[in-house]
Amino acid sequence: MGNDLVVACRSVGRVYQDESVPVHALHKLDLDVITGEFLSLSGPSGSGKSTLLNIVGGLDRPDSGEVIVDGTSLGHLSEADLSKLRLIKMGFVFQAYNLIPVLSARENVEFIMQLQGVSSHDRFDRARQALDLLGILDLENRRPSELSGGQQQRVAIARAIVTNPILLLADEPSANLDSQTTKDLTDLLRDLNHRLGVTIIAATHDPLVMNYSDRQVHIRDGSITEDFRNEPLD
Amino acid sequence: MEFSFLVNLSIRNLYRHSRRTLILLLAIVVAIAGVVIANALLRGMQDDIRRQVITNLNGHFKIHRSDYLANPSIKRGFVFSPDWVPYLGDANIDGWAARVRVPASIMSERETRGVELIGVNPSSERISFLSAVEFDGVFLADSRDRGVIIGRALARQLKTRVGKRLVLVSEGGDGLAREAGFRIVGIYDADSELNEKRFVFSGLETVQQFLGTAFITEISIKTFSQDLRNLKGTLSSYFSPLQILDWQELEPQTAAMVGYVDFGVLILFVIIMGALMFGLVNAFVTSVMERVREFGVLRALGMAGHIVVIQVILESMLITAVGLVFGVAGGWLIASWLSKGIDLSEWSEGVEVVGMSSVLYPNIIMEDIVLVIGLTLIFGLLSSAYPAWKAIQIKALDAIGR
Repeated sequence: MGNDLVVACRSVGRVYQDESVPVHALHKLDLDVITGEFLSLSGPSGSGKSTLLNIVGGLDRPDSGEVIVDGTSLGHLSEADLSKLRLIKMGFVFQAYNLIPVLSARENVEFIMQLQGVSSHDRFDRARQALDLLGILDLENRRPSELSGGQQQRVAIARAIVTNPILLLADEPSANLDSQTTKDLTDLLRDLNHRLGVTIIAATHDPLVMNYSDRQVHIRDGSITEDFRNEPLD
Repeated sequence: MEFSFLVNLSIRNLYRHSRRTLILLLAIVVAIAGVVIANALLRGMQDDIRRQVITNLNGHFKIHRSDYLANPSIKRGFVFSPDWVPYLGDANIDGWAARVRVPASIMSERETRGVELIGVNPSSERISFLSAVEFDGVFLADSRDRGVIIGRALARQLKTRVGKRLVLVSEGGDGLAREAGFRIVGIYDADSELNEKRFVFSGLETVQQFLGTAFITEISIKTFSQDLRNLKGTLSSYFSPLQILDWQELEPQTAAMVGYVDFGVLILFVIIMGALMFGLVNAFVTSVMERVREFGVLRALGMAGHIVVIQVILESMLITAVGLVFGVAGGWLIASWLSKGIDLSEWSEGVEVVGMSSVLYPNIIMEDIVLVIGLTLIFGLLSSAYPAWKAIQIKALDAIGR
């Protein structure tokens, strides 16, 4: 695996049992993602894009094949090791934001650094910097219930990037957002990708997100049907 | 992960469902307060029964001939030796009373009853219930006093009163029946009606003269010492070959009842807290299951399993600890308020059967409080074990997919 390869999927297969009927969510799928790439995974519901995202993120395990993240083969890692890998090397953005409701925006961002053992002073500063970067520093003391969907998603992104992950995984990040907020979010992801160099893999149905990415991978029935680079945006 | 952050998170999670937390807290407070109050009542009952047995002419120890209890006759008495007085002045001994006690019949102008005639030295009877009873008339002046004191209930049965004469019949030291007339100088009101019907008192020398003997039948001893076994050994060496029995040997049924209270305190706690524990487990499991998605996200973000367990246990222990503080404080306050005495005279016949007086004084014992605190924390920990196990079973992927 080359030095600039962040994710390598080799002949990855995943089969679910649906009432005793095997469903091939992924079928001998190969995918390489290089450092700094903004990749969108698209495809119809049930095509396997979320399954691939979960396997790359170490939340699910493939039935066959191998997944390598930053040079580490995930198949050999225990649940605890996977947990540690996610904590140190990955950031997650979920469709439903999944912020901790009893914590403020800043505390939600700080929380992930708590898990990493970052000192109190550093946590505070870095959380504020992340919120500032996403343009929501003025909302740092608000709880998720006091924020709009777009604001919550920004907090979720701040939480995902504050630890400087090498890989940011986003599962339908714009699914619950209106078109203007989606555009803002996509601009933001793009900006983070460029400014911080963070590799982004986003599973999405949204053409806007697809068009803003560097590379589009279309999946159908567990296999990649299209894989192409977008024209650079102005 | 900083512990203070987890505590803060747990507090906010509890506050998040404030109504449920409040109800749960209230249940814990009521249960703990109930246990503290019930313990205080049981301890009060235990103390009362013990005090009643000791003051009921037993003392902590009683000395008599080894064959006296099987057949309490004046012929099985003994002569009081002046050599014993220094031993009875031991620093551990609060007081002692030498008595002669024989079965007798008592007759008024209208009725006859069986009683125990007891010759006492009035100045020595501060160790018995006689020091606390109220009298119509007067108490005996000294051991030569020729009057008799009878109980209120016996006076009613004999249809007599202070100043009237009674005839007492008993077996004398020579084995022949003896009969003599005595004037009632006082009628006493005891806590126990059974005692009022049973005991008739006169001066020690008067009764010895009546029975034609120099014997006494018992020496009752009250002690400050908690180490009855050791003191009994010491006294045995002084008074050999006489038999020395402690109050537990004299009243084994009552002693068993007093001992049972120690066990009862524990049983009561286990029953109340056991019932509460099911409620706690249910509430904590509900709290975890409501947050499956949240726990899943935390696991997905990299929160280690043991931290999830710590957080669930912390939430359970926090609410348990707060409930414990208020429960113990509330129970203590109520038990303290009740400690001026609970009047049980309405059920006097019932409480007398178990050897209690008609006023119950709850007693808070520090060891019981420590036991309640310790066991509650253990129960709280046990209650959180299952919810914590449920929380750690949550798979990040399944939870996020909800």
